Amino acid sequence: MAIDRKRIISEMSKICAVGNEEGLIPAFNVFVTQLPASFWNGFAERLTRRVSSDMLPAAEYLLFNAARSCGYHTGFGIITSDEWKAVVGPMVEKVPDDVLHGAYAVFTAWGWAKSEVIEIVPNEKMVVRAYDYYESDVVEYGQSAKLSAYMIRGVSAAFMALAYGGDYQPKGGPEEAWECDQTKGIECGDEYGEFVVRHA
Amino acid sequence: MATKKAAKLVLDHKFDAETCRHYLNKQLVVLHCHHYASLYTQLAMDCSMLDAKQLLAECSEDTFLEVLTAYFREKNVTSLEDRIAIGEQYFASTGLGKLTVQCAGADSGEVRLDFSHVDQGWIRKWEKTDQPVNFIGLGYVSALFAAVFDLPARSFRARETESIVMGCDHSTLEVVRN
Repeated sequence: MAIDRKRIISEMSKICAVGNEEGLIPAFNVFVTQLPASFWNGFAERLTRRVSSDMLPAAEYLLFNAARSCGYHTGFGIITSDEWKAVVGPMVEKVPDDVLHGAYAVFTAWGWAKSEVIEIVPNEKMVVRAYDYYESDVVEYGQSAKLSAYMIRGVSAAFMALAYGGDYQPKGGPEEAWECDQTKGIECGDEYGEFVVRHA
Repeated sequence: MATKKAAKLVLDHKFDAETCRHYLNKQLVVLHCHHYASLYTQLAMDCSMLDAKQLLAECSEDTFLEVLTAYFREKNVTSLEDRIAIGEQYFASTGLGKLTVQCAGADSGEVRLDFSHVDQGWIRKWEKTDQPVNFIGLGYVSALFAAVFDLPARSFRARETESIVMGCDHSTLEVVRN
């Protein structure tokens, strides 16, 4: 593998996102915001803790789906961006494996999760581990019985779609062919979060 | 009342190389795109399990009240004019849009959005719609008024009377004391 994670994280973590004169941040072919993580965590946690147990899977699926859509479109914007071409592009030898490894280095650099790909079975399965991620901050004491990394789940499914789902579709769609299960979580007392992506 | 907007927002960005987390003025921050905001908003609108629109607004209010209050305290921002100026600049710095407080008092106020991440992102993802969608903005404005007047969360309620997402050239948010 030619991907130099350390260098990607060092270079890409220098990103400075601030609103323009319109108060907007256009980047990677999308509008982005840079909001406190507590806002996203707060909504996801309050929502999933307030719904009845029989509705919990539906609420969790909607949170996962939001991240999957975000990951598909923003992920495509990232891997076609000038920043990617300058820093990660020259390291890519084996496609799509190196693209996936590079994508998680960028995912780490931009503060979503300190994560890496552990296993890839081409067009079938991917295993990702996250050693630090903001979604685990919902638990500040003790261990939760509920896994909470909906964003990492969604983005991981999306990255698999970008790797194996054919040409990018501006209206989306290919990402829906992939699901992701969280099998371990820091919020639940595990040393790291673990995520397994498979066909839906 | 005339307003003099002198204060300038100071942003201190730090990256923790050990945890790979980004901090803005000591607050953990993350980037997310308009697809994410739009789908969270749609989730809130479609949710039949509880009033998720209110929940989204309250999460926004709680988050930004903490941010603004901490900023005012640490930078010793005390005047009404300076607090409003900082609140407007912070909103823009996050990428949420261009917000202008048209008037503010202890019981009410009016806010104008000339640009809005939530509205414009929604239109870009789908199309214009027939109802307001900016629950995140409502929460921010409630938080701003509470922070400006040194009041707790839920002291103010905001509602949209004009919306970019509905085809208006700007959004108007009216604020009233609870």
